[in-house]
Amino acid sequence: MATAHGEKVLKYLEENGTASSLKLAELWNEDHQKIVGTVKSLLCLGEVIEADLQSSALWDLTEEGKQVAKDGSHEAQVFNAIPPAGSTQAEIVAKVTEVNSKFTKDMAKVGFSKAMSLGWIVVDKSSGAPKFIKKVTSIQDKVQEHLKELATGKDTLTNELRTEYKKRKLIQEIIIKSYLMKPGPSFSTSVTKQETDLTPEMIASGSWKTKEFKAYNLNALGTPIPRGHLHPLMKVRAEFRQIFLEMGFTEMPTNNFVESSFWNFDALFQPQQHPARDAHDTFFLSDPSTATNIPVDYMERVKKVHSHGGYGSQGYGYDWKIEEAQKNLLRTHTTAVSARMLYALAEGGFKPAKYFSIDRVFRNETLDATHLAEFHQIEGVIADYGLTLGNLIGVLYEFFRKLGIEKLRFKPAYNPYTEPSMEIFSYHPGLKKWVEIGNSGIFRPEMLLPMGLPEDVSVLAWGLSLERPTMIKYGYDNIRDLVGPKVNIQMVADNPLCRLDKHRGSEMKETDDLQDLENRMDSIMTRLRGIETEVKKLKRQGKTTEEKLTLVIEADPKYPPRSIQTLVRLLVARGDARTIVTVHQHSSLASACPTDLMQWPNLTVSDGSRIDNQCNLTWIWKPIGRHPIVKIVNRPNGDIHGEAAIARLLARILESWTDCAMYENFDSSICSQIDDWLDTWEGCIQSGDSKFLMLIRRIQNQLGHPDGRKWLVGPLPGVKSLADIFLSNLLGDKLNTLNCGRKLARFSPVKGI
Amino acid sequence: MPTISINRDLLFKALGRSYTEEQFDELCFKFGIELDEVTSDKLIILKEQGTERSAGASEEIIYKIDIPANRYDLLCLEGLVQGLQVFLGEKQFPAFKVVPPVTVPQRLIIKPSTASIRPHAVAAVLRNIHFDQNTFSSFIDLQDKLHQNLCRKRSLVAIGTHDLDTVHGPFFYEALPPDSIKFKPLSQSKEFTASQLMDLYSTDSHLRHYLPIIRDSSVYPVIKDSNGVVLSMPPIINGEHSKITLDTKNVFIECTATDLTKASIVLDTLVCMFSRYCGDQFTVEICEVETPEGKINNYPILKNRHEKISVDKINTMVGINEKADEIANLLTRMCLTATVEGTGSISVEIPPTRHDIIHACDVYEDVAIAFGYNNITKTLPKTNTIASQFPLNKLSDQLRDQLAQAGFTEALTFSLCSKEDISEKLRKPLNSVPAVHVSNPKTLEFQVARTTLLSGLLKTIAANRKMPLPMKLFEVSDVVVKDSQRDVGARNCRNLCAVYYNKSPGFELVHGLLDRLMQLLEVPLDQSGSKGYFLKPCEDATFFPGRCAQIIFAGTVVGIVGVLHPDVVTSFDLNLPCSALELNIEPFL
Repeated sequence: MATAHGEKVLKYLEENGTASSLKLAELWNEDHQKIVGTVKSLLCLGEVIEADLQSSALWDLTEEGKQVAKDGSHEAQVFNAIPPAGSTQAEIVAKVTEVNSKFTKDMAKVGFSKAMSLGWIVVDKSSGAPKFIKKVTSIQDKVQEHLKELATGKDTLTNELRTEYKKRKLIQEIIIKSYLMKPGPSFSTSVTKQETDLTPEMIASGSWKTKEFKAYNLNALGTPIPRGHLHPLMKVRAEFRQIFLEMGFTEMPTNNFVESSFWNFDALFQPQQHPARDAHDTFFLSDPSTATNIPVDYMERVKKVHSHGGYGSQGYGYDWKIEEAQKNLLRTHTTAVSARMLYALAEGGFKPAKYFSIDRVFRNETLDATHLAEFHQIEGVIADYGLTLGNLIGVLYEFFRKLGIEKLRFKPAYNPYTEPSMEIFSYHPGLKKWVEIGNSGIFRPEMLLPMGLPEDVSVLAWGLSLERPTMIKYGYDNIRDLVGPKVNIQMVADNPLCRLDKHRGSEMKETDDLQDLENRMDSIMTRLRGIETEVKKLKRQGKTTEEKLTLVIEADPKYPPRSIQTLVRLLVARGDARTIVTVHQHSSLASACPTDLMQWPNLTVSDGSRIDNQCNLTWIWKPIGRHPIVKIVNRPNGDIHGEAAIARLLARILESWTDCAMYENFDSSICSQIDDWLDTWEGCIQSGDSKFLMLIRRIQNQLGHPDGRKWLVGPLPGVKSLADIFLSNLLGDKLNTLNCGRKLARFSPVKGI
Repeated sequence: MPTISINRDLLFKALGRSYTEEQFDELCFKFGIELDEVTSDKLIILKEQGTERSAGASEEIIYKIDIPANRYDLLCLEGLVQGLQVFLGEKQFPAFKVVPPVTVPQRLIIKPSTASIRPHAVAAVLRNIHFDQNTFSSFIDLQDKLHQNLCRKRSLVAIGTHDLDTVHGPFFYEALPPDSIKFKPLSQSKEFTASQLMDLYSTDSHLRHYLPIIRDSSVYPVIKDSNGVVLSMPPIINGEHSKITLDTKNVFIECTATDLTKASIVLDTLVCMFSRYCGDQFTVEICEVETPEGKINNYPILKNRHEKISVDKINTMVGINEKADEIANLLTRMCLTATVEGTGSISVEIPPTRHDIIHACDVYEDVAIAFGYNNITKTLPKTNTIASQFPLNKLSDQLRDQLAQAGFTEALTFSLCSKEDISEKLRKPLNSVPAVHVSNPKTLEFQVARTTLLSGLLKTIAANRKMPLPMKLFEVSDVVVKDSQRDVGARNCRNLCAVYYNKSPGFELVHGLLDRLMQLLEVPLDQSGSKGYFLKPCEDATFFPGRCAQIIFAGTVVGIVGVLHPDVVTSFDLNLPCSALELNIEPFL
């Protein structure tokens, strides 16, 4: 259907270069809409033609105007109906309507008055009843002439006449949308419809050979594929496992969480009064509470070396009790398994061995953002004749090199079952200091010799946690985001491959600090891109086009967003008094808002009639729950949800209007710290009180800085960052319900800059 | 690891030079201690109590230093300075002497009644000591550090120090019924009976922690002088009568203990550190301790132990190649005076301050520290071994990959959980669950070891309700069940659990997943049950009636599959149908 027309249009374009749909309709005497349809179907073909939409105004006759053009103006018809002797109004009207059935009384009324004012007719009251008589013998019906002319498309009306005829509803303005076309990059005069995609039928019939296919939009993202995922910690575990296997280490069977104190402590020459054996540090079991079947001879040797020494040792000189050794517990380290393995190795006739394991261990510790009651321990053990401390150092360098860590340093340390003992440190370029990454040592003879290992056999061992490198690698600062039921499955889904050597443990390697910061900023930027673009638009708007910014904030009076209220106050106080705030309550509220919520901005500027205001902010209390919403009027998709996101938006607006620094006007490192605090808070809202307590602890730590600071982020007292404004306001309420100690009491809500 | 607080200026004065913070930090690192924090009294008070209270507090810099748990000799300024100066080669380690007094030695007589509560005691006298404010504080602080660490919060050893000139020996250490002990305790103005003291101190933030050590005993330990004056009621409190002051000239030290070895170490440490302030430096006056059997032992022991060490062995263990005299020098810097004996052998004198040296390997470590861990040439061991994986872990990992390939997402949940997670919430009585119980959980989350992976996965779904449906989760991990066949009475089971959570139960999906797993494991469907696997309808309280089956493999039940009971769904704060599969993978190895 479109094809015939389409080709005609294309031919015309080929000859004339450009074409207007209106002109073509006129030229070919076609309905304009039909031509428009053709243009649209040509546009669907891709880049065959280009077309600009244009709109033009056109004056045309109304239905009444068309009548006038045909039958003459109302006044002319009235004039023509008057007999030479004159007649009454009723008679004249009857006569006109007799001739012209469409003539109404209203038209007659207009006709009489116009004819009178034109001086065509007069009223004669001399013979009693008023009569109309002609005053002139002939008339020229200009109105009809004008309308006839307009009907042919010729518009020569003066403005006065145009206004008059419009008033008389004889003519009307019509907006016509039309297209101005020109040939596109792949212009051709023959039309083939482009296919969207290959179909089985096309393949069967071979019709694909002659078809053209619509181009793909490669700038759009693909469809997310349905998929399963492995957990990030397990991916890092796989990497460590691979490293050990590459280095020739055999995996130990560590599938025994329940262990006896004997294997967990006594076998390792850890004395029975050692603090680690305290109930404060270790999970003991009530059921099954004790272990049996400890190898009798071996246990006697262990008992002797603890209480009296032997094998060159003085021993600890205390009364060793089997009851202590029999107490069951959840193993505190996988070294308990190493002990069993080494004992088995000695029993079976010693052969050099390299062992490793990565598995869960348990500590009855106080929990915080980096410690859980259970975690994964990575352990490596080498048993051979004549091993040296230099060997241990060498192996550790190779092991950590595979993790992308090249710079190591070793510190003397104490551990009951290794001697010498070394803490392993690596240089952390982010913190600009050496951080501990693991522990190592050579097992004591008091541990090895009672097992029956040959005297000249040494056993090297080292251990580290799996969670810590994983947190560093993937940038978590709270372990609960990584392990346990509170883990965000989306995080699992989005997590990249684990290639420790490729990224060279980004945190631990020495790289350009600026580069690190930039990377961090990049990731934040990506996350915030949505808000970002919105704000850029707003900024442009505020500064160049002087267009007003209209915000509607909806919040629930049950959960008043204190931080946003504070920022709005700041906006009013600092934004050149060009922000006008009005507060409303929504009818869906069950009960009226208390006055403090209704009058909260307490503004001096309430003059809504100002016209130079830059921002109109409408605040609506509405039962929408914990997450307030801001709507940016005239910006579709401009809704921003949640207190943190809104706070960021308001901070940016504030910064763009006043040149104060509270968020992005700080340098990028401070900015990223602020983001981090806000993100942490958002995490808390989702996870409830346990996480909240962790946040409190973090804040306490920060406030516990030796300089006695009362703020979270930023270099100076007195300069309040968005993080401080945000968290201090939010915590204000919550602190009263929790016992948070003195440090937090100092963290009083920031009400102004 | 104990942390000690040292006034920086006093430390540098004693060391005879000052350091920048970085230099001192570096020195600590090499020596094996750690400069943990740099602060001041003012900052500490500021931090803990606010600005008002901190006004007027001292702004002198304090170094907080972490000391390894076995280095009791470094727990005070005196010991730390001595250790560092010897390490730096600036001072020689002193020789400590134990001498009898001019007249009769003091005697501490242990009565048999102490046997049931705190059977051991040792004692010593520091003569003509001169304290100033700083050394006096250090003396008190060291006792506190020792109490907290080596003495295991006074349970193993308790120290009492007394002004010898206020009391008259011999001293008697006995155990008496609480109501028959009455004295004026330290810092109190009137006398209390032991029972009253127990009440008095039950709210004392410091002392109440020590009360349980003796509270339930029928007799309490007490030390009196020959006139019946109470010196102390160990391990709780000393008497006011004999308390030491800045002006005290002669100090009587007693240590009561449940562990005699540790009591002797504590006494040695205390007198070694503070005999430097005696009229006769580094000299301690002997005390006689009479045991209930009537045997007289002299204390302090202050024994210099000698250990003969092979140079070859040291070089081999550490991985260095140093000559005997060089090694002797290194050891001397670690307060271990060493002399070369003949060829290839060194005699090491272990002073009474180094009770941490109990084996030659401790000496090797000190050689390594003095040599510098970071100066040791790194070499690779020649140990040549062929690696192998633990078969169960290998199978688990292979199955995990397959589960992810089947579109399931891996969760990682805790091995510990609350009792209700494995019982009530799954509609099962706790006593029917063969769970391992923790005796001392700090929170409800750690009451038992999990016996099923299902609860953890359901909790994970509950925490992720905002995710698009369907949710498909799995975990392959260990659960723990009681097993009397094992030495510890329990064993791990490697389980595989998968759940499907959607608007419809999707039983066919988990069923399909099971079939796929069996296909991968080359296990055929076999209704006769002898070789392959099949599903056998069953009733299980966790599952919806009529929607549950046991997984039978080679004739035994290895798992269960079904649609969860609605009450289970709601008990985990969920509201949609859910089907689940859990099986033990060990039979498929």
